[in-house]
Amino acid sequence: MAYFMVVLLDDSRMEKIKGTGLEEHIKYMFGGELRLLEVEVNEDLKNKILAEFETARVDSRGAITDVPVAFMRELFNQVVEKKSLGPEVVEGVLAKVGEIKEMAAKESEYLPPPEIEV
Amino acid sequence: MSSLLIERPLPHGGRLVERVIEDKRVARKIWKSCNAVYEIKPTLHYETGVPVRNVYREIMSICYGFFSPVEGSMKQAEVERVLKERRLLNEWIFPYPLIFDISKDDLNKLGVEVGDRLGLTLKGKPFAILDIEEIYEIDPEELAYKTFGDPETNPEVVQQKFDKKHPGWVIYRSHQPYVLAGKYTIINPPKLKPPFDRFWFPPRKSREEFEKRGWRTVINHQTRNVPHVGHEFLMKCAAFTGDVEPCHGILVNAVIGVKRRGDYPDEAIVEAHEAVNKYGYIKPERHLVSIVLWDMRYGNPLESLLHGIIRQNMGCTHHMFGRDHAAVGEYYDKFATQILWTKGIPSFGFPAPPTDVPYGLKIRPQNMREFSYCPTCKEMAYSETCGHKREKLSGSFLRGMVAEGVQPPSIIMRPEVYKVVVKWWKHFGYPFCNEKYVINKEKELEVDLEDL
Repeated sequence: MAYFMVVLLDDSRMEKIKGTGLEEHIKYMFGGELRLLEVEVNEDLKNKILAEFETARVDSRGAITDVPVAFMRELFNQVVEKKSLGPEVVEGVLAKVGEIKEMAAKESEYLPPPEIEV
Repeated sequence: MSSLLIERPLPHGGRLVERVIEDKRVARKIWKSCNAVYEIKPTLHYETGVPVRNVYREIMSICYGFFSPVEGSMKQAEVERVLKERRLLNEWIFPYPLIFDISKDDLNKLGVEVGDRLGLTLKGKPFAILDIEEIYEIDPEELAYKTFGDPETNPEVVQQKFDKKHPGWVIYRSHQPYVLAGKYTIINPPKLKPPFDRFWFPPRKSREEFEKRGWRTVINHQTRNVPHVGHEFLMKCAAFTGDVEPCHGILVNAVIGVKRRGDYPDEAIVEAHEAVNKYGYIKPERHLVSIVLWDMRYGNPLESLLHGIIRQNMGCTHHMFGRDHAAVGEYYDKFATQILWTKGIPSFGFPAPPTDVPYGLKIRPQNMREFSYCPTCKEMAYSETCGHKREKLSGSFLRGMVAEGVQPPSIIMRPEVYKVVVKWWKHFGYPFCNEKYVINKEKELEVDLEDL
């Protein structure tokens, strides 16, 4: 099974990937309402993610999900830095696993809610 | 009446168990007759000490008839029969052992014997009684293994030996080693707290509600999740079953109990389902949200059996079951529940489906596959109908989107549903269940009690 991680793209992230050559890899889902990039994850990296983050899951599509938000933010940073969607992106994220876990510990207590009217 | 019309089934076991005393004078008299009093405590994880279950939820579900015909904490012979044949001693099918377990220290302190009446307090207030008929010892680890099956004994559907990563296995493994068996009676009915109070439809009340609404046929949707549009379409389309016309009603029955980290809070789940009817995605005249108190065991086919029992007792005629129903990990075959309801699972005591065995169920399964978005049809499409390449909807994917603060497109999550998620996110400071939520929830519970 091929594994991957999804990087969602809002307007500010779209700005950051301009000129990286990644624009042509943008995928559109749900009738074009969602823009995203898919980062490749090999078996070894998938196992490392699952071992490092107990909440991580592999969903029915082969997508690795439920990792800390700090992981997802760094994933995007690495995509921009490496201008790539290959396994080296996740390798770059895992190189900072200590830092991410520190941030994840804080975010398991509190995540700022979006500023929308409820 | 046409012979094709389906009638509301009788409760499992033939009659609803109702063991709730509303009259305070009678209750006070009963309370005075107790030989000892015990404050109900949450069951704590045998290794981490985090709450994994509270037996009060089982007492509520038994006494209000959700688990009819079970009337109390099971005797040893009954537990053994349930584990071997998934049947009670009165022959009716039932999937799980339900017991009132206590530690050796507590048993010694209480000094109770067979024939005694034990008063049970909850949050320091009188709650229920247990008339002790038997006291016996269990091996919680053995109980945990036997409850869920194993690949050698149940090769049809069990793929992997159970272990501490399975939350249901952990619940049984964390039981205390002594069991007080006997019938429960609630003598001080707890009050459900908001928002749960408006979703509290115990079997008698739900049956009355169906009658009032003219719902002869009702299909149940089991949930422990905030609904995305795939769930909404599952409900809408599954309801097209029925008899000569689609089901009159869709009952959403949310399981309220100890949550897993990463699940949505119970408060968000019930209100998000309510938003589906409040904002007209399914008319409120056709859609009702309700709850049952139960700490999920995640036993896939076994859990589906319990779900069938609960919803038949509530008066439903049909029950939708999906792939990986009430499952965690890959312990069971992904279609174990659907196998049970279409062929049976002989090693679990079902040579035929639970609707086709003596003392079985009357509720009809509606086995469903998945809904996902089809960019060609430009709509949510059923996996077994649409011939195009579709975009799968995954709860985990949606959770990731929510956590990153990205509002999901309305084609996958209704904006009103998302607003409910954000409402409770603002309340708890977190969109999902975390350690703090679980610990607080088990301290506060979903109920309050008055003085007796």
